[in-house]
Amino acid sequence: MSVTRRQFLRTTGLGVAAVGALGGCATATKGDFAPKSGKRVVVIGGGWGGATAAKYVKLGDPSIDVILLEPNKQFISCPFSNLVLSGVRTLDSMTFDYSRLRGHGVRIIHEMATALEPAAHRVRVGEGTLEYDKVIVSPGVEFQYEQIDGLREAGDKVLHAWKAGPQTVELAKQLQALRDGGVVVMSVPPVAYRCPPGPYERASQIAWYIKTNKPRAKLIVLDANPNVVSKTALFRKAWEAYPGLEYRGSNKVTKVDPGARTVTTELGDTVKYDVVNVIPPQRAGTIAVEADLVGADKRWCEVNHVTYESVKHKDVHVIGDSTIGLPVPKSGNVANAMGKISAAVVVAMLNGRPVPEMPPGNTCYSWVNDREAIAVVNSYRIDNGKVVQIEQKLTPVQSRAVATNSLGWAQSIWADVIG
Amino acid sequence: MLPIAFAFLILLLAVPAAEAGPLDHPGYAKAFTCSACHGFAGNSRSETMPILAGMNAAYLKKALQDYAAGKRVSPEMEPYSKMAIQLGVDDVAGYFAAQTKQPTPIAADPAAVTRGLAASQQCVICHGPAGKGDPAKNIPDLTGQPAGYLQAQMAAFKADRRSPGDEPLKAMKALMKGIADNQIADLAAYYSSLR
Repeated sequence: MSVTRRQFLRTTGLGVAAVGALGGCATATKGDFAPKSGKRVVVIGGGWGGATAAKYVKLGDPSIDVILLEPNKQFISCPFSNLVLSGVRTLDSMTFDYSRLRGHGVRIIHEMATALEPAAHRVRVGEGTLEYDKVIVSPGVEFQYEQIDGLREAGDKVLHAWKAGPQTVELAKQLQALRDGGVVVMSVPPVAYRCPPGPYERASQIAWYIKTNKPRAKLIVLDANPNVVSKTALFRKAWEAYPGLEYRGSNKVTKVDPGARTVTTELGDTVKYDVVNVIPPQRAGTIAVEADLVGADKRWCEVNHVTYESVKHKDVHVIGDSTIGLPVPKSGNVANAMGKISAAVVVAMLNGRPVPEMPPGNTCYSWVNDREAIAVVNSYRIDNGKVVQIEQKLTPVQSRAVATNSLGWAQSIWADVIG
Repeated sequence: MLPIAFAFLILLLAVPAAEAGPLDHPGYAKAFTCSACHGFAGNSRSETMPILAGMNAAYLKKALQDYAAGKRVSPEMEPYSKMAIQLGVDDVAGYFAAQTKQPTPIAADPAAVTRGLAASQQCVICHGPAGKGDPAKNIPDLTGQPAGYLQAQMAAFKADRRSPGDEPLKAMKALMKGIADNQIADLAAYYSSLR
């Protein structure tokens, strides 16, 4: 869209007036609490996908009313949060607010979208409703606590720390309090889950922390998968530096008992721990499941590879970790790409223009100690309406240069998502 | 106060159509993934990733071709370069050439800038007194690029790690061999500071 209109809104103050209508902080959400006048896009979820999508719809066509529903007041990056566990970085250094999205004209309501009604073109927010022309659903993952006996009952006695935030800080504290000679147990869920290399980066960070600070302690990694899922050879090589790391593949955790401080695997092995980190099995965010956006597996949402429109409901576009069927990892970089793509598609559709074909890309860094990183990069094209991979490339070795690049990536992509 | 419609008309007249936003360019759909590392519209704000906005299209095209062929070695850039080539390298390069460059916001050390200026006599022969390069000869504009990127490239030239055997780069590489590493850092700071 033209800068002319953008400048017009800014100059006349109409843009400000429109933003002010909801005040950015709605409390009275009853009935149709923000009646729709022009074209409107509602975005559910302000993570890597949703925040990007909301910003880019506004950049693409400032005349579209964009409302972002996100309960959290802060955006905390999952990428890099494993480095908080080892004390290499602080959570503050990857925490951002949503003020710059507001500056782009996105209306943000810090409330949870409670239901989606595709037939009525309506999102429910508690007792209130919001009408939309298009909805972009980016709810991330939800944990399947019920898949592991005792996990739900364990509450915060067993941490996942798989959504960066208070649990990340708490797990870091538990590691700091670990006695030298103690045992840390972490579990890796079966695929598909958010961030394929993430658990192994976490194992690397914990192992580095232990080696550096509590050399007699031990880390046992219980992986539901038969082998390291991503960057396999590079992680295996990095782990040669960590005698305290014991990796057990095909060791799915089925039970946790915080009273006895044990986990039990599918094979029947019971492993005692001092500190535990269970990364539970995952599925699409609850709103996507309840709105019938998921497939027969009841876990993930199948979408059109060009438009990201749900194969089940019209005008509902699903992006990020909730999606399945594209040959892409569930990564922040992919969610960011999907945010930009879905925004361009939605803007084109609402303006009666041809839908662009935009393949995603993926760059994914993992830190294997306090200064070196490895990376995997995937590029894609679209063939006959389907996303296909052009190439996957790994860094040949771990290095400081790759770690430096990862910092540049983080700075750039955080700005792209939330800046 | 001006009637709104009249104010709108004035703005319409005042803003040329060429100032349409980066998302309006026909190459955007092929270049949008790049912003994850290279910044919105190619204006990288980081120390390591080069600014692509305003880059000469022929220069960027050659860079992408060299990355795709492994002549410039980067595990990150190789897949993306192949993607750019498959989607249309001229469209991607044309997109970035059409964007307005915003120089790096990372301030260089003033002392290093002064030393870099003093050491730059040989650079101006090709890159010009203002460091703007020469598009006709595919010599890049160095001004305002992040110092970390400039330094890494000069080191790659010195070690002949960038596009080995490339005839037009031989003079550059021969020159870099005689330049000490600390002077490379100074030159990077100097050209990074130019506007």
